[in-house]
Amino acid sequence: MKLVLSSLVAAMTAAAASPALAGPVLDEIKEKDQLICLVNPNSPGFSVPDSNGVYQGFNTDFCRMAAAAILGDAGKADIRGIGFSDSMKTLVADGAHMASRSITATGTRDADAGMAFVATTFYDGQGFMIPKSIGVTSATQLEGATVCAEDGSTTLLNIADWFSDRTISYRVENIADKTARLEAFFNGKCDVYASDVTALLSDRLLSDTPEAYTILPEVISAEPLTLVTQPDQALEAAVFWAFQVMLNADVYGITSDNVDQIIADLGSYPKAVNRLFAEDSATAEMAEKLGLPQDWAYQVISQVGAYSEVFEKHLGKETAFGLELNETANALTADGGQMYAYPIR
Amino acid sequence: MIPPSPPPPVKRRIRLSDVFVLSGIAVLLAFALANIQANMAAAGVHPGFGFLTKEAGFDVSETLIPYSPGSSYIRVILAGLANTVFLAGVCIILATVIGVLMGLVSVGPSPAGRWLAVAYVELFRNLPKLLVLLVLFVAAVNGLPHVREAMSAGPFHLSNRSLNFPVPLWDGKGWILLLALAAGLILPRLIEAHLQKHWGRSTPMPLSVLIGCPIVCVLAASVLFQVPSGFSVPELKGFDFQGGARVSLQFCVIAVTLGIYHGAQIAEVVRGGLQSVPKGQSEAAQALGLTRSQTIRLIILPQVIRIIIPPMNNQYVNLIKNTSIAIAVGYSDLMSVSGTVINQSFKPLEMMLITMGLYLVLCMSVATALNTYQARLIGRETR
Repeated sequence: MKLVLSSLVAAMTAAAASPALAGPVLDEIKEKDQLICLVNPNSPGFSVPDSNGVYQGFNTDFCRMAAAAILGDAGKADIRGIGFSDSMKTLVADGAHMASRSITATGTRDADAGMAFVATTFYDGQGFMIPKSIGVTSATQLEGATVCAEDGSTTLLNIADWFSDRTISYRVENIADKTARLEAFFNGKCDVYASDVTALLSDRLLSDTPEAYTILPEVISAEPLTLVTQPDQALEAAVFWAFQVMLNADVYGITSDNVDQIIADLGSYPKAVNRLFAEDSATAEMAEKLGLPQDWAYQVISQVGAYSEVFEKHLGKETAFGLELNETANALTADGGQMYAYPIR
Repeated sequence: MIPPSPPPPVKRRIRLSDVFVLSGIAVLLAFALANIQANMAAAGVHPGFGFLTKEAGFDVSETLIPYSPGSSYIRVILAGLANTVFLAGVCIILATVIGVLMGLVSVGPSPAGRWLAVAYVELFRNLPKLLVLLVLFVAAVNGLPHVREAMSAGPFHLSNRSLNFPVPLWDGKGWILLLALAAGLILPRLIEAHLQKHWGRSTPMPLSVLIGCPIVCVLAASVLFQVPSGFSVPELKGFDFQGGARVSLQFCVIAVTLGIYHGAQIAEVVRGGLQSVPKGQSEAAQALGLTRSQTIRLIILPQVIRIIIPPMNNQYVNLIKNTSIAIAVGYSDLMSVSGTVINQSFKPLEMMLITMGLYLVLCMSVATALNTYQARLIGRETR
């Protein structure tokens, strides 16, 4: 609560101080030489502190992407863990520059003046997890069940819609504290745990016996998990196009490992690759207009990597999630997914 | 003894410094409001309360008033408020009972009791309440059985979900029993008055009649009018118990948490009150020939109550505000629904104002009630 109040106060003073210039937030980031980015404090695979207290994960890499593109150094991302509803308030109140914490883009949220939804980094959907022991194979058999969900999230609305559309009665346990919520589910206080499918996969790993739980086939909502920044055209453009660089890298098979090799021999690569890295390239022109480091596209790829690299590193087959990128909606359009690389020219 | 002379009347003169301070605050407030409004308008945000009548669209864990996701935001806020009031009421009773008992034990004759009271007070006033809540919740969820293996005592069932118990079916005829109860309470008084009028002497009714009469009346009405018509008994069907009434586990855990947390502080208030009455008071009472119970009832208690009301007031108001930690374990109180409404409607300023206003009214009504009671006590004594 203290955070909310202090952020409200901050909002008032900030609103008083800053006139609507193009790029004031981007200027502020460069002036402070630091980009404050909000993540979930405890979401394995997406953002968890490592043994040194540094946040690691899929979502945190997009904080690092933005810092690499804007400041030329991914290490200048000041990554902070914060709860879901406080993160949006903090952003609106100028307490952070951007958030990469699985926030679903919705019309009304985007219509709010304090937040800009910039680039969808993960296409997710809301699902149900159950203990295998209750012997249910479809969510339609959940008549009378108790559902645990995070307090204050869109999850609550999706469940209400889905169950009432099918006139299935249910009871909700809207628990804010994650430990309390998961303890409630793992101990059978609720029959079902509802959240985004990836969050379910990640939370399942927190159980002593992950194999005792399964995810039902129904995916009941569209959850485009999107990077949110403070409204600032230049900052939005920088973040959006940095993400497009990561997608383009996948299209052309560029990774953090081979990017130096490619640049050493740019002449023998397609025009589109040249437009990413050459000195008089499209990215250099963008850099001048947006006020980014001249080689920002190279910095993003060499320090963070291509989109598929980030995905594989944190959520892929080698990880506990074992997700196959091309089986999810997050594959490139060419591979049947929804990740569409915009042209950089 | 010469009664002390009343203080001279206060001169009603406004001081210049007061005017400066007050007008300074007013100017600051006006500036802040104008600034917020101007900046919200510049940012394209239009404050307003029109959203309150829109459909809320989300469910809450338990409600005392009829509510469905199709109801309006107003209704979900009311449902949250009702939950907060109910929780606060139960917690106040629990904390007071625990606090008074422990307070009495802490000044009592038993050294073991005193030691126990000190240990209890020191433990719970030195722990954060949210931590106590989470520990108790996790312990209860882990320790109590799954709903399918619920502990049962007849029609009462306790699991790590809830306490389920039977409730009478009133069929809207509950008022008949209330009427019978009222009749049973008044009847002995009427007989008393009648006897006094005709026989001209006061014959107080024995206690057995005063208690027995209402019971007989209610039972007679219950049999005669078949109220309640039956009982709704909880039965395990599908995933959970159906029928009967249900108190959720989180409600019990929060009530216990705040009960023992504030109980510890109330115990200290009560101890302080008891120890502040000089020993000479009870010695004087004994010298006058009052019995021990008369001493407590007529000499000690009136003084203690007068002393402890202001700090108790503080405890109650704190307790009401502390019910907001319920959000952590999934009890849909005012704070919880207000947070969800903010996330859905994105009207943070409006919702925070509403929430603050409701807590303010709630706390101030309790404080005012207690202050009025204290004023009456003092008034009665100085009369």
